[in-house]
Amino acid sequence: MNNFGVVELASAKTTNAPGWAYVPDTRPAPGSAALPSNRKRAARNHAGLSLSDASARQDAKTRKDLEVLDRDTHKDANITIPPRTAGSRAQNKHTPNVRKILQSQKTFANHLDDYQALVALAETNPAAAAALNPANAQPKPAPPPTARNSPAPQPTPSTATSKRSAAAAKRAAAAAAKEEKERKEREAREAREAEEAAAGAERKPSPVPDDTTTSDPPPASDVEMADAPSLPQSYPADGTILPAYAKPPPAPHASDADPLLVSHVPAFPADDELRALMAAPPLSYLEARARWGDEERRYPPRAFCEVCGYWGKVQCVKCGARACALDCLEAHREECVTRYGL
Amino acid sequence: MAGGRKSKPAGPAPPSRTLVLDNGASTIKAGFVTDTTTDAPRIIPNCIARDRHRKTFVGSELEKCKDFGEIAFRRPVEKGFIVNWEAQKEIWDREFFDDKAPQRCDPSETRLVLAEQSNSLPALQLHCDQMVFEEFGFSSYCRVNGPAFNAYNDVQAIFQILRTPDTTIDVPAEVILLIDSGYSHTTVTPIVQGRPLHPAIRRLDVGGKLMTNYLTRLLSVRHFDMRSDPYIVNEMKETACYISLDFKGDLEKTWKGTRGQRSQDYLTGAGIAKDYVLPDSHTRFHGVVRDYEPGVSAKARKGAVSTEDILTLRNERFVVPELLFRPSDIGIRQPGLGDLVMQSLSVLPVGLWPGLLANIVVVGGNSLYENFIQRLQTEILERVPDSCIVRVARPEDPVTSTWLGAASFAKHQHVEKLAVTKQEYEENGAGWVARKFSAGLGVEL
Ligand SMILES: [Zn+2]
Ligand SMILES: [Zn+2]
Repeated sequence: MNNFGVVELASAKTTNAPGWAYVPDTRPAPGSAALPSNRKRAARNHAGLSLSDASARQDAKTRKDLEVLDRDTHKDANITIPPRTAGSRAQNKHTPNVRKILQSQKTFANHLDDYQALVALAETNPAAAAALNPANAQPKPAPPPTARNSPAPQPTPSTATSKRSAAAAKRAAAAAAKEEKERKEREAREAREAEEAAAGAERKPSPVPDDTTTSDPPPASDVEMADAPSLPQSYPADGTILPAYAKPPPAPHASDADPLLVSHVPAFPADDELRALMAAPPLSYLEARARWGDEERRYPPRAFCEVCGYWGKVQCVKCGARACALDCLEAHREECVTRYGL
Repeated sequence: MAGGRKSKPAGPAPPSRTLVLDNGASTIKAGFVTDTTTDAPRIIPNCIARDRHRKTFVGSELEKCKDFGEIAFRRPVEKGFIVNWEAQKEIWDREFFDDKAPQRCDPSETRLVLAEQSNSLPALQLHCDQMVFEEFGFSSYCRVNGPAFNAYNDVQAIFQILRTPDTTIDVPAEVILLIDSGYSHTTVTPIVQGRPLHPAIRRLDVGGKLMTNYLTRLLSVRHFDMRSDPYIVNEMKETACYISLDFKGDLEKTWKGTRGQRSQDYLTGAGIAKDYVLPDSHTRFHGVVRDYEPGVSAKARKGAVSTEDILTLRNERFVVPELLFRPSDIGIRQPGLGDLVMQSLSVLPVGLWPGLLANIVVVGGNSLYENFIQRLQTEILERVPDSCIVRVARPEDPVTSTWLGAASFAKHQHVEKLAVTKQEYEENGAGWVARKFSAGLGVEL
């Protein structure tokens, strides 16, 4: 049992009590690599067991836990469809497309892998990507080896965060960031537009499946859309997107009339800027997934006792699990021994 | 109404009846719309379920199930998108196409308006379009961004804006920021004149499923293993969980105290602890929330008092929905809802912010948590300049809101801009249809 130690994270002083280490909680995130300074300190206190081991174990556990939380069912429910008795619609013959779709046992993760692989292929070999398309893809037993098999929340590469005392900075940042944001947006938008213009041809096969290679009759042909949406050239003056901003603002506010405030109301976006936004194509599934920005990195994640859910003030050195105090840590030991051995 | 059906100059008149579907991962919202009528939507479990007696229930048959203990589900929709068409077709057949289907229709005389989640995969969209035309044979169809349908509701009424009776209701609303928190995930969608601003749509992969699974885990660690009872845990989550307006304070109040000395708040429950009576599948088919009575659950556990299975919920009540605002609490490397909104706004012109922030509409089952709106408003106010007006509102029924918007859309002239006929599909191909849906309404008003 000597291997059982805890790391108290609440204070910055250290003691030399066997099996204990008091370290300040400066880790940016439970998921990131252990800081070298912590490793040194931990190594001093525990021969053979370093904080980085515990951290790695904790990372692995978090990843596994998130995968389980993402599941639809606890057990793989292999529920077969019950036969229908009377009143079923006369079953017409399936088209080849429909037969393929109904037989597919692919999961969302499989489809996502396929898509990512196709996008990657389109970058390196547009011709090959065009030849492949989702309509033709045979149900594969396994996803391509290059792709990740799970859409579970993916750890983004962690970057060391500067620990700014940020509570008050938010507000200032909000104001200051405005101009910066505008500039960034414009750049991002311009970059996106340029990218789209450049990649328009090669992107086509991946985001929009093309059926020309399908041998099955319906749909027979795939004509270019004559009225495909393109940015309109001119508009009548009364056709502006948001003409109604002449209306009173939605919620009258006591300080609406305050000239100081009025002067801060940002300029309404130009009509063509709005039109470009409204006509912009959808992002891909992964592009739309929100990621940590600077704002989130600034705050260290909160840690909780794995047993009772109160603040996780101490940490099991063996596996990195958090506990609130000694009795919860004791309760944790049993599970820890089962999982990692003595 | 601003809408009013306009038929296309060429081609046959569109079908007079529209089946409007919001085909969610947890439930389907379904109902018919004509020029003059809008049915109340039916809410259909979108699953095939098997109970512990190995009886199988498809879709709305689940109503007949009384014993949800150890029930298992198969769901055609994964991450918000229809993935398994074998199961989805079975449910649709029984609900809409069979002779005795509760909402029977003949697809060859019906238009389908289908709400779809943002940022789908092209292959899944293709499968959907192929099934709709080649298998079901709808005569007309459009697949439209689901969140954007909410702009076709009477948004001013949601914000309870007073107006004179003769005021015309403008749909779609000019500007709204739509937050949809459902079974699979939570999304932020800025919408201008009914058009979703795609570059600004952001998704947080926290939804009802993850929260139910998280509650299941907490119960399994602290009480008993309920991993085989997702239905029961989900019900517990919906009736007993709430969003904390003072997380630190509530966590202190639910702390047990030191070993030698239990804290006073822990002993009394501090108004947070609740006893939850589990269903027994004989007399009580649904769980019951009761005020905390010290010692009751402990005695019940020993079988000394009654046959009831009671567990006491404490911080489980608020740490579960807290994941919407602090997903990093369980190691998810995504921003919470407050930052999700800011990330969405950050790619838009600052001039749009005031309109969006003053018109935030929340829909989806998770918006029903107690304090959801207040907490969201607080989180956003912390992140925007003081001068910003932030208004958050929830429609009367946030679960059917997207469907109601879709029904309104089905009567609006916009539907004619998007709908595709079976003939067009056969003539122009699935790729043409996909591009047309992907382009959306365009910018012409
Ligand atoms: Zn504890
Ligand atoms: Zn441990």
